Amino acid sequence: MITFSIDGREVQSPENLMLVDAAKYGDVEIPVFCYEPKLGNPVGACRMCLVEIEGIPKLQTGCSTPVKDGMVVHTQNTRVHEAQEAVVEFLLINHPLDCPVCDKGGECPLQDISFGWGGGRSRFIEPKRHFQKPLELSPLIAIDRERCILCYRCVRYSQEVAEDYQLVLQERGAASYVATFDGHPYVAPFSGNIIELCPVGALTSRPYRFRARPWDIEGSGSVCTMCPGQCNVTFTVRDDRVLRVLQRDNAEVDDGWLCDRGRFAYQAIHVDERVTSPMVRGQDGQLVPVSWDRALSEAAAGLTAAGSAVGALAGSGTTNEEGFLVQRIVREALGSRDLDSQRAPVSRDALLAISDPALQATVPDLEFAHAVLVLDTEPVDDMAILDLRIRKGVRRNHVKLAIASARPSSLDANAAASVRFAPGAGPAFAAELVSAAKGEPSSDDARSIVALLREAGEDVVILASERVGVALAALADALGLRDRAGAGLLVVPSSANGRGLREVGFLPDAGPGLSPVAEPGRHAGQIAEAAATGDITALWLLGIDPLRDLPYRLRWEQALSRAATVIAHTNFLTEGIRDHATVVFPAEAYAEKDGTLTHPDGRLQRVRPAIGHSGAGRYGWQVLTDLGTRVGLHVPRVLTSGIALAQLAQAVPFYAGITQDEIGGRGIRWQERPAASAFPAPAPASVNVSPAPRVGPSAPASGLRLGTFRSIWASPEVEHSPALAFLRPRQKIEMAPSDADRLGLGDGQRVLVSNNGTQVSATVALRQAIPAGSVFLQDGLAEDSANVLTGSIVEVRRA
Amino acid sequence: MNKLLFKDIDEPGLNTIDVYRRRGGYEQLRRALSMPREAVLNELLASGLRGRGGAGFAMGKKISFLPKGALDIYLCCNADESEPGTFKDRELMQKNPHMLIEGIIIAAYAAGANKSFIYIRGEYVLQADILDAAVLEAERAGFLGENILGSDHRLSLVVHRGAGAYICGEETALLDSLEGKRGNPRLKPPFPANQGLYQGPTLINNVETLATVPAIMGMGGDAYAKLGTETSTGTKLVSVSGHVKRPGNYEIELGVSSREIIYGLAGGPPEGRSVKLWFPGGSSSPVLTGDDLDLAYDFDTMAKAGSMLGSGAIIVVDDQTSVVDVAYKTAYFYRHESCGKCTPCREGTNWTVKMLERMKAGEATPMDLDIIASVCDNIIGHCLCVLGDAMAMPVGSMVAKFRDEFEEYIEARRQESYLGTADPEPELALIQGAVA
Repeated sequence: MITFSIDGREVQSPENLMLVDAAKYGDVEIPVFCYEPKLGNPVGACRMCLVEIEGIPKLQTGCSTPVKDGMVVHTQNTRVHEAQEAVVEFLLINHPLDCPVCDKGGECPLQDISFGWGGGRSRFIEPKRHFQKPLELSPLIAIDRERCILCYRCVRYSQEVAEDYQLVLQERGAASYVATFDGHPYVAPFSGNIIELCPVGALTSRPYRFRARPWDIEGSGSVCTMCPGQCNVTFTVRDDRVLRVLQRDNAEVDDGWLCDRGRFAYQAIHVDERVTSPMVRGQDGQLVPVSWDRALSEAAAGLTAAGSAVGALAGSGTTNEEGFLVQRIVREALGSRDLDSQRAPVSRDALLAISDPALQATVPDLEFAHAVLVLDTEPVDDMAILDLRIRKGVRRNHVKLAIASARPSSLDANAAASVRFAPGAGPAFAAELVSAAKGEPSSDDARSIVALLREAGEDVVILASERVGVALAALADALGLRDRAGAGLLVVPSSANGRGLREVGFLPDAGPGLSPVAEPGRHAGQIAEAAATGDITALWLLGIDPLRDLPYRLRWEQALSRAATVIAHTNFLTEGIRDHATVVFPAEAYAEKDGTLTHPDGRLQRVRPAIGHSGAGRYGWQVLTDLGTRVGLHVPRVLTSGIALAQLAQAVPFYAGITQDEIGGRGIRWQERPAASAFPAPAPASVNVSPAPRVGPSAPASGLRLGTFRSIWASPEVEHSPALAFLRPRQKIEMAPSDADRLGLGDGQRVLVSNNGTQVSATVALRQAIPAGSVFLQDGLAEDSANVLTGSIVEVRRA
Repeated sequence: MNKLLFKDIDEPGLNTIDVYRRRGGYEQLRRALSMPREAVLNELLASGLRGRGGAGFAMGKKISFLPKGALDIYLCCNADESEPGTFKDRELMQKNPHMLIEGIIIAAYAAGANKSFIYIRGEYVLQADILDAAVLEAERAGFLGENILGSDHRLSLVVHRGAGAYICGEETALLDSLEGKRGNPRLKPPFPANQGLYQGPTLINNVETLATVPAIMGMGGDAYAKLGTETSTGTKLVSVSGHVKRPGNYEIELGVSSREIIYGLAGGPPEGRSVKLWFPGGSSSPVLTGDDLDLAYDFDTMAKAGSMLGSGAIIVVDDQTSVVDVAYKTAYFYRHESCGKCTPCREGTNWTVKMLERMKAGEATPMDLDIIASVCDNIIGHCLCVLGDAMAMPVGSMVAKFRDEFEEYIEARRQESYLGTADPEPELALIQGAVA
């Protein structure tokens, strides 16, 4: 801490803080427009923050002057007042002053600063600068160039944070305006952040335009449950409807940014297609709305009849409490062992090894590590917000980035090294990395990655997909990451609360707290097989539609058709549920939920209800408790989500004693609580990895190797949000130009992709970076999803 | 007076290496390379040579600010000569490119730079072609490249053509432009000496400054410092333009009287006219009047008189020209060239032009003069770079020094406009339904 003087008072602040921030330690506000630390170094463009520093003849910009010991700063003398007033006057001469019809009115920094630091009069009587307005900068964002004060924030964001390089300033001087480089709409995964960055009403959300004024609305903090990123959000609520989603800056989780899905998919909360009442399948085979009592008793009857022949699956935003209750019902009341929350099976031993608190990295570690290895995952699709965090680390802290993946990554351009392996060979490549790290014989690719990580420094963060499995722990150990603060593993689960669900015991081979079970049950794939053969007669689906979310669609179709009872908790009647469910419960939208989630880095976060339930909706834990009682589970009464959490915290030793209070608004990592010592020790045998021969990315003898991925836009919320409908993905097959040439195919051509008698149609998308011999299709689509195909080698031919 | 920069300037073929060497060219480079770097730097420090681009910062001191270390040091020659009235660098580069190149090589040696650039304004096509040819000749002769003249000094020199933006003459905008970005000024600090081109330490000097270096090496820094005044040493190229009989570039010793330059060398205004005002250092310097003609022409005297020596471009305006037109032309240029990054310059230049346009249209009042003066005050010292000041200083000084003329002009134009001829008592608007 240093001492400096501001407006005649001695103030203490950390050294080298920019003056505008240091001034806050003395309760002095210096007005700013262009200054936004999230955007990187200050640019000093708006000149709003001019202050006087004794010993420097010219006024200085407080946003770019680091505070020093003994500095004497004046922000309230005539000279500074006049300068700041002049800047406000300059900014307003071309501003339309249309506050009464501007969306930003009431929450506008330009209004506030004009009021606080402006002269309150105008001497400008010339014609103002005019632009056509408002224009669609994109289907999501309206741009009003007359309101723009040219502060550069959005341009800097596009250039230096999102790195999509689309926004630029065209022309110069007083004729400058913000535009995209090529005149095309600004469409990018993180484009919506510029709406919140804009300090005036120049960039406004098209879905929110003219929906409310700041005095109509209230804000409600919660967590987005659409992907494992679990970004903190504030819902803007008017009359019990969510009208907008804003970031709620949490540096430990999201760094104050949101992806466009998280920002705009709230629209799906208030659409007619949502399931808002319980339904059962009537005599005519149609789902009809019924009372809760009827639905609950039908569900209870179905479950009781099936008994141990029940298979349960959970996904998407299922909370810890819901998962915990369901696994109790399935195990204790029904006597079944068949439940799973994972897309691909990862054994308990492997999960123990990769969840070991001594090996865990946190999200901010991505930014400050010496090196980051992204292994078999595509951040922008799998855990979107980390994409920005990784870019930040590389750009600002010179983090060395290595990427090992089957499909080319959008981060390749930022990487010091990128290697490709064949689709599905993630675990095998991880094993090679382990060998390389131990100095054993390995492939060149693996050796070069390990060399890069070692050269960069000791703090390495490995961001990897859960499916890579146990080799991750071995790799972290071989790289010496155990017990290293700022280094370790960050494992991306296959669903938004994947980590929470597995830790509360929603696994075939582990109970609450990853405790061992006497006899393991079936994993998701085996549940499908068992249901298809009739060994399982009731399927219970929480936030998951196997036809869309899981591989082997055909087998799931058989399973769902054959099962006598299919109970689904869902928001939308997706295909599998529409056609096969016998009882449907309305799931809650995330703005209605009350419960906890566990972030992939172990942070428990609270999802808090911002609005009441739509239609006949009820809290998930309430429904499950009711259902549990009806099937004979002896539960102490659950009257609030807090009680549900307390019961869960009793059962999971390393969550012991955690309360909603302790979680609070920013969450808490369980690894940082004393109870973490109760985490079961991983079996030593589990780190014994035998390197498997890796399938190189070279072409197979015949056909093409198939890889699949799930786009950030592949979700029912996107399909049902009117604003996002234009982003709804259609099936395309990404292939190398050389393969396309060989097959006589061109970009944009319709093709059929087939194997084992199954086929999907797709459009050819040529990508130079795709390794020859591999093609990639999308999963999670409403139609033509890649999970129709059953093998790993496909044929492609013209449709 | 002995000419240093313009010695032999009209010698035919001086732009070729043969003629230049016959005239003693590249001998100073040989001598400099035989000396330790520090000795060369000491000569430059002793010469007291101040930057000729506009700011007048001591060149030797600029070199000594460069951090010592493992970082690559860059040298950039600022040949983006775009200031209205300034055309000295053009003549130097066109007629004697090798003197500049020799100066660059010696300065790079003193600064420890191994990569150098000449950023030349896009409109200087002929000069850029000449420089390209000269650089090629110098490379072939072994003055550029590895082990120059057998020493351990190596230097590459690239001639980079700008795209025609005045702002790229601002040193940090020049660096951005050179890096391939939009040429916008950067926030200072960090100064280019610490973080310049590609974030490396960078020495940026004007053409004339660098071209003076061989002469300093030839006569010795101390001898050079004896020329001119104590704080404005040496000789200076002055571009005289406007209402004079003999416009052109003149080499003068700093400290001569301004009258000697304007009347003596350039011949003064045409017969029967007198000097109304003059810009002593390019169009961005506050104007001086006919009363200031006896001031000594050097950095300090000009600063004391409330103006600046700037790039050494004297623009003379005689008594037949309206000061409002001069102000308008000046303001219009800077509005056009403002990059738009910082608020006061972007909005202030635009506002000033609009007010002056209104004066010309006869729609202004004397109150507008107060607003112009206030707008100029609000720009000066508040901008990211000096472009805003470059408009506000001359326009502000014109309004201050010629207020009476402005007011007369406003009234005369008002009389001519519809405001002057309008019926003083406008007809009352008819109320609907009323009978007139």
